[in-house]
Amino acid sequence: MRLSHTADMKRFDELLAPHMDAAYNLARWLTANESAAHDVVQESALKAFKFLHRFEGGNAKAWLLTIVRNESYNWLKASAGHRWVAIGEGIPEDDMALSHALTPEIDAIRTEDAALLQQALKALPPVFREVIVLKELEDMPYKDIAKVTDVPLGTVMSRLARARAMLKTEFMKLYRHE
Amino acid sequence: MNEMNCGLCHSLMQGYMDSELETPVQERLAEHLGNCSECTQRLDEMKRLARAVKAHAPYYRAPMSLTESIRSSLQSPPASKTTTWKMLCNWGAPVLSAAVFAAALFLYAETPSSDDIWTDEAVSSHVRSLMAEHLMDIASSDKHTVKPWFTGKLDFSPPVYDFSAQGFPLLGGRLDYLQHQTAAALSYRHDKHIINTFVVPTTQADSGLQSQSKRGYNIVSWRQNHMRFIIVSDLDKQQLETLGQLTRKGL
Repeated sequence: MRLSHTADMKRFDELLAPHMDAAYNLARWLTANESAAHDVVQESALKAFKFLHRFEGGNAKAWLLTIVRNESYNWLKASAGHRWVAIGEGIPEDDMALSHALTPEIDAIRTEDAALLQQALKALPPVFREVIVLKELEDMPYKDIAKVTDVPLGTVMSRLARARAMLKTEFMKLYRHE
Repeated sequence: MNEMNCGLCHSLMQGYMDSELETPVQERLAEHLGNCSECTQRLDEMKRLARAVKAHAPYYRAPMSLTESIRSSLQSPPASKTTTWKMLCNWGAPVLSAAVFAAALFLYAETPSSDDIWTDEAVSSHVRSLMAEHLMDIASSDKHTVKPWFTGKLDFSPPVYDFSAQGFPLLGGRLDYLQHQTAAALSYRHDKHIINTFVVPTTQADSGLQSQSKRGYNIVSWRQNHMRFIIVSDLDKQQLETLGQLTRKGL
């Protein structure tokens, strides 16, 4: 018992501990709340630890982030109470019209404006925000994003297209209002 | 693959810029981009935006306190810690800043509830000793009789003193159990009050005298020389503390 616990701690240190930053970053972006992100990561880590024996190798980071994502959505749903929360489900994935229609001149925009960019990303519905976070900030390949977000590979690409187009629109909107 | 056109190029552009396409597709797209300034401009925009996000969107690193608290909750039985964690969060999740959170965890770690468990049991044991008329296994006011009696019954040597001169005559001793551990219990009397002093070995560091009250009983406890002392009685707090000081000094 004692020994297996020590062994589990060792596995935790090897497999999960290196991804605590990634876990916190995703939770922080999804919940947009510091203490909620703490809560989510703590719960996720305990869950991951509990089911560590079921982890059969492969991508530990994607596995942990899947749990973090689920916990974050649970928190979003719970914190919204009875109010409807716009997670982003139900938005047609194949609706490419938006990105096709968009050809604003982004050249003129100061994309180095960190505050605006952050605000724009925060404004996206969670399912689009998360693909940006996983791709741009975590630099994850599509196949891992597909695992974490539980969608087919093709959907990752269309969702990312949609998310990037939405981010651009949101950024332009904020930029003009400034 | 069909002939490359702008529509197809748009739908594959993300995969292209993220280098996620099969090599032949990637090549055909590159070829199209070479001939289409509109698609090239769109791709440049997307790349700019992606670069801006990479460079300027904050990456929130896990605070040290979080990683540490996770490790420490994994090292002990997860159930109770999780509950504490949840209580902590429900109690003030929206306002609990990282600093307060870290401080709360620190305090929690520093004041183990195990002390409470010990004193709880000591009070129960004290009450039991009064009701069952099982106050003493060895009745003697002579410490030279009581101390050897414990030898062989305990794997540690509890200090035994008679404080008759100070108003706390030793009545005797008995074996007791606290937290499934064999404990030495010494009984004293002060006026008409019965006092039990429980002694168990501990690995925890020495600590100062602590007074509290539970279920109408006063408790004085401390740790010294790898032993935990818990004195319980319905005697008033100050007098109980006097016995505590005497025992502490006697060591």
